[in-house]
Amino acid sequence: MSKFFKLRSIPRSWDTAILGLLAMVLILASTTTEGFLTSLNISYIFSNTSEITIMAFAMTFLIITGEIDLSIASILALGSSMLGWSYANGAPIWLAILICLAVGTLCGFINGFLVTKVGLGSLAVTIGTLALYRGIANGILGENTVNEFPEAYTSFGFDTIGNSFMPKTLPLIIFFGLIFGFLLHRTPFGRRTLAIGQSPEAARFAGINVVRHKIIVFTFTGFMSGVAGVIYTFRFSTAQADNGVGLELLVISAILLGGVSIFGGVGTMWGVVAGVLLAGAVESWLTLREINAQWRTIVTGILLLISVAAPVLVAKNKARRERKALKS
Amino acid sequence: MNFLRRLKPSSREGSLALILIVAVGGTGLINPRFLTGDGTRDLFTSTSVVALLAIGIAPIVIMRHIDLSISSTVGLTAWVVADMCAKNPDFTWVQCFVVGPIIGIAVGIVNGLLVAGLRLPSLVVTLGTLYIVRGFVYVVSNSVDYNAQEMPPSLLDLGQKVFFGLLPFTFLLVIIAMLLMGFFMKYTKSGRDAYAIGSNPPAADLVGIKVFRRTFLAFVFSGFMAGLAGVFYLMRFAQVDSTAFYGQELAVVAAVVIGGVTIMGGSGTVVGAVIGALLVQTIQGGLAALGVDAFWKAAVNGLLLIVAIYADRVLAVRSEKSLLAQRIRERV
Repeated sequence: MSKFFKLRSIPRSWDTAILGLLAMVLILASTTTEGFLTSLNISYIFSNTSEITIMAFAMTFLIITGEIDLSIASILALGSSMLGWSYANGAPIWLAILICLAVGTLCGFINGFLVTKVGLGSLAVTIGTLALYRGIANGILGENTVNEFPEAYTSFGFDTIGNSFMPKTLPLIIFFGLIFGFLLHRTPFGRRTLAIGQSPEAARFAGINVVRHKIIVFTFTGFMSGVAGVIYTFRFSTAQADNGVGLELLVISAILLGGVSIFGGVGTMWGVVAGVLLAGAVESWLTLREINAQWRTIVTGILLLISVAAPVLVAKNKARRERKALKS
Repeated sequence: MNFLRRLKPSSREGSLALILIVAVGGTGLINPRFLTGDGTRDLFTSTSVVALLAIGIAPIVIMRHIDLSISSTVGLTAWVVADMCAKNPDFTWVQCFVVGPIIGIAVGIVNGLLVAGLRLPSLVVTLGTLYIVRGFVYVVSNSVDYNAQEMPPSLLDLGQKVFFGLLPFTFLLVIIAMLLMGFFMKYTKSGRDAYAIGSNPPAADLVGIKVFRRTFLAFVFSGFMAGLAGVFYLMRFAQVDSTAFYGQELAVVAAVVIGGVTIMGGSGTVVGAVIGALLVQTIQGGLAALGVDAFWKAAVNGLLLIVAIYADRVLAVRSEKSLLAQRIRERV
């Protein structure tokens, strides 16, 4: 138990700062804005961030290993389009969902294969597959949309459990959160992920199969994007090719906001959850204050810049102070 | 056989030009109009915006950086210039060509300060400014669109101007920019510094190259070109709304990479980037001529990019091996 709550080592890190920031935003928002701390609004925050959270869980591993996947939103769209297309063509809904998950997993595997086995840069490759996967979705569905899904499934997307504030997707998110959190912080797999991010060379010499590990992480990311595709489809009750355009940037900014280093090797799962919730809370706050939706694009960009600049500035400041201390 | 071998182009640009000729010829076989003066002119006209941006970001990619914010900058300049012209009917193309680049340079300065000054990863920074600049367009535009009648006729005339029936004015400017920039990158100290920085950033710093200044100026230049491209956008489409050029940054990156500029930095040329842009456009045109649904366009773009990166990798591995073999031979 004491090992689990290693509080002494936490307070100075960026992810506790983000927890503080989250608390601050929540307090400010709930005191200044009526309707922020209602069960309905909290339910909105959770359900609006469902896909982002789901994808962020796996993507955190990927960024920690020092890679990136920009194609996740396209995987979501391709999975969603395949779900809609196969359902519209007479497949039973459970099969359509399985197809969506399988497509996601396959897309993630292809990314991983191209990056590790073929040896191409993940940034360039996933910019390519970003266009490729969404292009295929476009080719399959064109301008069509599929939006006649069984009631039971679409209600899963946006209804809440009973009269509580919890959306029906929340247990699923918590389930995945626990699994991925446990995987990162309490298993050899997680330690290997961090080791590879710190130094791929050293990890390889320490006997870690870096290639296989990265392929697995890429495949996980694809699978989770497939899961997000299912949720997205049911939440909006629509399958179309431009589902979730630009979502990859929100996921990345939430993860970086949560204290994961873009250079790899550093990151915690609770930081990422705090990052996602912070982004969601700010968004909801802006909506409730009736601030123009267009401003939110700007806020997202600024959040992204802050999340990448702040840790660097903090580190620089720290280094300067240490140098000063050494001189005196 | 020997004759054929002699024909084999020695440079990357040469092979690209060859592929381009084959692609144009192949498309011409399907649709003969493609090979006429009209077809060539259309190809040049439709490529000029992307080609201009490709020249702008090529130095950045050579320095192992990236600028994703260009598409938003194009949207911003196009809208602001159109807005300015609509409010001042006596403005001509001259004012457009002054204001556009200035706006671009402003965005470039912000990117440059964040990337070069704070040493933040350019991918994330320009992703952030992509959002911010586009959001800014949404806010200032307030859903107002502009059409041809609000734009200065002199600007639109310039966009229609064609030399010798096949060389549009806009592409002439692209060629001039390409030659100037090509010369700069190849023969000046600053240009060579860019390659050194891209090959090995820490080493470049250690040998005394002014990494900050070069990186900063590269981003300012890319902003400048994006501003110019915004004006080109108006000349070509004669209409603009807040989503102008949305999401096109990846097409530009694809053109540059297909043109042989390595995404890992340190090699590639501006001429290659322009040929890459022409090649992408030709293949798109070719697919349309083949009757492929326009919906597949993005998929083809993505596939092209992946193939280009793959070819790049294969070539890099091969040249590395031959260099190694050469060194071993010299030792023996």
